[in-house]
Amino acid sequence: MQPKKVIQSIAELPTMPSTIGTMAWNETGDWRYLTPLITNKLAPCSQNCPAGIPIPSYLNALRDGSVQRSLALLLTHNPLPGLTGRLCYHPCQAKCIRKKIDQAISVQKIERFLADIGTEVKIEKSKTADKRAVVIGSGPLGLSCAFYLSSWGCRVVIMDPSNQAGGALLDLPPEKIEPQVLVNEINRLTLLADIKLETGAVIDFDAPGEPLAKADLVILDPTSLSEDFTAFSRAVAFDPFDDSIVTGDIIAVTLPKKLRPFKAPMIAHYIAVGRLVAQKTSDSLVRPSGQQDLRQPTPDLPRQAANVENIKVERFLGSGLAAKAEAKQEGTWDRERTLREAGRCLSCGTCNLCLQCISFCPDASVRLDERETSVVVDLEHCKGCGICAYECPRGVITMEEIST
Amino acid sequence: MKKVLMGTEAAALAAKLARVQVISAYPITPQTVIVENLADMIGGGELKANYMPVESEHSALASCIGASMTGARAFTASSSHGLAYMHEMLHYASGARVPVVMVNCNRALGPPWNLYCDHTDSLAQRDTGWIQYYCADAQDVLDTILIAYRVAERALLPIMINLDAFYLTHTSEVLDVPDQEKVDVFLPPYQPSTKLSVDDPKTFGNVCGTDLFSSIRYKRHCDTLSLEKLWDETSAEFQGHFDRLHPTVETYRTEDADACIIGIGTSTGAMRLAADRLREEGLRIGCIRLSMIRPFPRERFQRAIANVKHLIIIDRDVSFGSEGIVAQEVKAGLFEHRGDVKLTGFIAGVGGNDVSVETIVPLVRQAISGAGTAVEAGKTFWAEVLP
Repeated sequence: MQPKKVIQSIAELPTMPSTIGTMAWNETGDWRYLTPLITNKLAPCSQNCPAGIPIPSYLNALRDGSVQRSLALLLTHNPLPGLTGRLCYHPCQAKCIRKKIDQAISVQKIERFLADIGTEVKIEKSKTADKRAVVIGSGPLGLSCAFYLSSWGCRVVIMDPSNQAGGALLDLPPEKIEPQVLVNEINRLTLLADIKLETGAVIDFDAPGEPLAKADLVILDPTSLSEDFTAFSRAVAFDPFDDSIVTGDIIAVTLPKKLRPFKAPMIAHYIAVGRLVAQKTSDSLVRPSGQQDLRQPTPDLPRQAANVENIKVERFLGSGLAAKAEAKQEGTWDRERTLREAGRCLSCGTCNLCLQCISFCPDASVRLDERETSVVVDLEHCKGCGICAYECPRGVITMEEIST
Repeated sequence: MKKVLMGTEAAALAAKLARVQVISAYPITPQTVIVENLADMIGGGELKANYMPVESEHSALASCIGASMTGARAFTASSSHGLAYMHEMLHYASGARVPVVMVNCNRALGPPWNLYCDHTDSLAQRDTGWIQYYCADAQDVLDTILIAYRVAERALLPIMINLDAFYLTHTSEVLDVPDQEKVDVFLPPYQPSTKLSVDDPKTFGNVCGTDLFSSIRYKRHCDTLSLEKLWDETSAEFQGHFDRLHPTVETYRTEDADACIIGIGTSTGAMRLAADRLREEGLRIGCIRLSMIRPFPRERFQRAIANVKHLIIIDRDVSFGSEGIVAQEVKAGLFEHRGDVKLTGFIAGVGGNDVSVETIVPLVRQAISGAGTAVEAGKTFWAEVLP
């Protein structure tokens, strides 16, 4: 590291104190402690979502006016958006980067809008499905579990001894969840996933009816059944977070302490747990080795979730979903306002070459690569100041300890 | 064209005539009119410049420094506490050798709070490396801002044009406003040979070791010293265009004077009237206005006092524990040159008191006779203080 020229006389001194050429020879990269890492990643909203929903992807579809695709993307991860749109505490909004500029995107209002869109057409299921499952109880966990089990190729019947579907949701006052909304949500879920729902069902293992008798697996829903429900005595407890193998034909899903008793604002957690149960149980039921896994990234591991662009929504819901007109609910935004709101999403986690990082780098060490398709860091000169990471409006740049 | 303008209006008009490209300033009484007028000019489309509103004077000058480094002609204005807040950036501007021109409206520094005229604010910035010029009237303001840009851009040094608060900033005079075309001939666009540019990447203000620091400082010192001559040359050039002269030292009836009253700023007008009145009494009094304090116009000053035996300095400022700052400067200018000169220093008009003929005449009499009401404190005499 040596300059090319050394000043020998007063006359050679520049009047303005400056270098007499570039400082490119001075490779300041070895001053660096933290290194900017530029990679697309899950958006902070999705990282903070209990159900791991890739929020920017469905907001982007909505912004582009593709309501059907947006709804499909949302339903793929959250089959009960009308409930989350009313009950969830929306930790996604708490982490919204847009807050730095004006205010967080109202994911809640967008969920509500999408939930009010009528749907028809069922999921195209694998024709090879011959495994049968019965979910007893139709609380949010049971509904979610049934939805995913069915989506992934299982024949599912929901049996609820109560005369009305909804489980613990039925205890909520109408100002929290309008009864008709609950009915609509459950109807769509069962329609889409081709689930048979029996209310007022008689659960008798000693003299089982057809669904119970033919079931390969029975799952008891803790968000619907009271603890004194008789079938619990026959069931094997199954903790979806700890247990990976299903033992027994009847399993009683156990919930972590924070989810007991049922708490409405935690709705997304129950949906996520239902999906996790479906994932673990379907491993042993549905998918023979070698078959392609169509399932989404597991919601309990959102940080490891794969690139959101890889979602196989077409295989899952896209082709089987037809969006109809919006059924206007009071308190739900109209289409125009919702699309405008979705347009405010910065698509965090995905570099869209806004080049803020390049503008702000004080050492001209962040640049476009030669093909001008991505941003790269000149590690010979980058001092690791972190301004690029601070200025990146989409959280694509993070400062990491990287040993070289 | 003749116009009736206040000193602040003259300053804003001069900045417009100089075709400044970047203005960044924070308002402060009594400077506010300047930035308001400039903002109006830009808003009304009369002046094509970037006005950068900032949260402080420190940022104002920092912005001007940055702008100037890219080759833009930059202007700012402040006063008193605002100028004090700029202190760090004052050093930076002169060190970076950027030809920023600033108008400072001389106002007292608090506490106690006072909005009125006092020269301590700018004289306290004497050693920041800025060229300091003190105006006598609004025509002086308008003309010297134009001269200042020409000089600053030749020497690559920043210049501070000082206006007495209210006595100059807020009083109106009839001014001769030069035509834009003529100003453009006198003051061509700033075209630095070196500037901050992505096409010619360089690092500015970078780390400098002990090997070069002294040499860089020495070079700046020499350039600053030579500015006295450069100002007078440029001022003569200006006279060629506009027939008005603005020298570094202005003399009045000094040729046959036994004693000279010395001051800076607007009160030098009253000093001339006082000299006239005292001459009616038979005292041979002259006046010297030091329009430039940095660099100290040593050569012209020494010529001006060639035959004078007694110098009476009226300071509108004080260096606490020492004496008036102008008096110090005069003494430094005399040292090893004239050991035979008697020197009397007064402090008068600080914090806005009018230094009128009625103030000056008794002080001169006291300087000569030794009898008067100004109170001795150290090496200086304070006028207008309670008994």
